[in-house]
Amino acid sequence: MSSIIELKNICKSFGDTEVLHNIDLSIREGEVVVVIGPSGSGKSTLIRCINCLEMISSGELTVDGIRIPEERGRTRQIRLEVGMVFQQFNLFPHMTALENVAFGPCKARKMNKSKASDIARDLLKKVGLAEFENKLPGQLSGGQQQRVAIARALAVSPKVLLFDEPTSALDPEMIGEVLDVMKSIAKDSGMTMVVVTHEMGFAAQVGDRLIFMDDGRIVEEGKPGEVMKNPESERLKDFLGHVKHH
Amino acid sequence: MGFEFSVITESLPALLAGAKLTWIITILGIIGGMVCGILAGLGRIAGTEALGEEPHGIFKPISVAIRYISGCYVETIRGTPIIVQAMFLYFAFPMLVKAVTDIERFRIEALTAAVITIIFNAGAYIAEIVRGSVISVNKGLLEAGMSLGISRFQLIVHVIGPIAFRRMIPPLGNQFIISLKDTSLFIVIGVGELTRQGQEIMASNFRALEIWLTVAIMYLIMTTVLAMSLRKIERKMKIF
Ligand SMILES: Nc1ncnc2c1ncn2[C@@H]1O[C@H](COP(=O)(O)OP(=O)(O)OP(=O)(O)O)[C@@H](O)[C@H]1O
Ligand SMILES: [Mg+2]
Repeated sequence: MSSIIELKNICKSFGDTEVLHNIDLSIREGEVVVVIGPSGSGKSTLIRCINCLEMISSGELTVDGIRIPEERGRTRQIRLEVGMVFQQFNLFPHMTALENVAFGPCKARKMNKSKASDIARDLLKKVGLAEFENKLPGQLSGGQQQRVAIARALAVSPKVLLFDEPTSALDPEMIGEVLDVMKSIAKDSGMTMVVVTHEMGFAAQVGDRLIFMDDGRIVEEGKPGEVMKNPESERLKDFLGHVKHH
Repeated sequence: MGFEFSVITESLPALLAGAKLTWIITILGIIGGMVCGILAGLGRIAGTEALGEEPHGIFKPISVAIRYISGCYVETIRGTPIIVQAMFLYFAFPMLVKAVTDIERFRIEALTAAVITIIFNAGAYIAEIVRGSVISVNKGLLEAGMSLGISRFQLIVHVIGPIAFRRMIPPLGNQFIISLKDTSLFIVIGVGELTRQGQEIMASNFRALEIWLTVAIMYLIMTTVLAMSLRKIERKMKIF
């Protein structure tokens, strides 16, 4: 199967500090990749490079056939195909849940309002929030907000979804509801997903591949079950020990 | 010479005419000032991350130029008294035109000069209000918008604009009231606004107490109307 995301020798620097060093990574269509690693290892930067929220400093990135940096003018096209879910939800505070979800199809996909609202309603139902469509983000719990945010990202029918620690800002009792939604997306729609998370249960259940990053490099990767059971590097052993004891 | 109520009733028509002119200058001035201020305020942060992402290629130097021009405008206006700006526009500008072109009889009406002065003056302060509120919009919201694949224009109109606008209302109210009161300075270029009308009546009957009390109350009514309209807009917007 062809790869939908291809990173070749990617480096990313902020000022003089290089935070990603020569990353090579290729992700197949429909694959669920889970990225783990200690704080500051470059996980967020890596996935933000994929939808060009950060511009790579060198190397070559190909997303759905669009090549960066050559086709830098087409980053918007990439973003239409690559949705993102953030740790802090980032829902538009002046729009209701329904408006948040309908916004993308309406503005980015130029759909008419009623069709966009239909899509949004369907998605809100799918994430279990049908009866909350007229609530503003401020009136929803963290878990509910994150589910709206997932519906919003899905609404423009992207080919890839990026998740940056989607459950890290949630109270423990809300983590499950968000992970359930993510699992059903992975299983039902065959969506390509890149998920930064420390939820090892999620990684084991739905991940096709686990990537361990440290200090701006991919240190280890493989089938989640195997990597977790037999970590090769000391750093990953260490890291898994920390995550488990949480 | 006690307090004569009849003095007020006699001078009321002239004072009301002045108040009407004050109101017209103010309304035209703040409408134009909003347009000017939004353009200059966005101009000052053109091409920065506050409006999405930094541009590349040819747009980079263009945005630097826009920032520079907007900055010069704001600093020039903020750095000079409004009364000097009005005098410059009314007395000096026509001479400047005459000096650099062949147009002999170029004139600006006093009222026009007054409106233009308020537009440019308020515009500079509103630009800072706009810039401040736009900068304060959470960057995560911009990233969420960009991740959906919307254009920069849509991002500004539908995400940054509404959120920033709500935060602008209190300082805008302040600026509108200042602009209204600044119209009293146009007494120096002979615009028959409220303060000048008061001054003229005073010069003929010497009833300072009655006249200035009425003038003050009229200003107070107009500023209250401005403040209350803004409060109403603020309440109408969704709470978030
Ligand atoms: N905008 C930025 N400017 C400068 N340095 C940055 C910026 N963003 C990230 N960095 C640096 O890049 C490195 C990687 O950061 P990144 O956020 O990708 O790590 P992370 O693995 O996501 O960490 P965490 O688990 O804490 O989210 C860090 O050293 C960070 O300080
Ligand atoms: Mg991170």
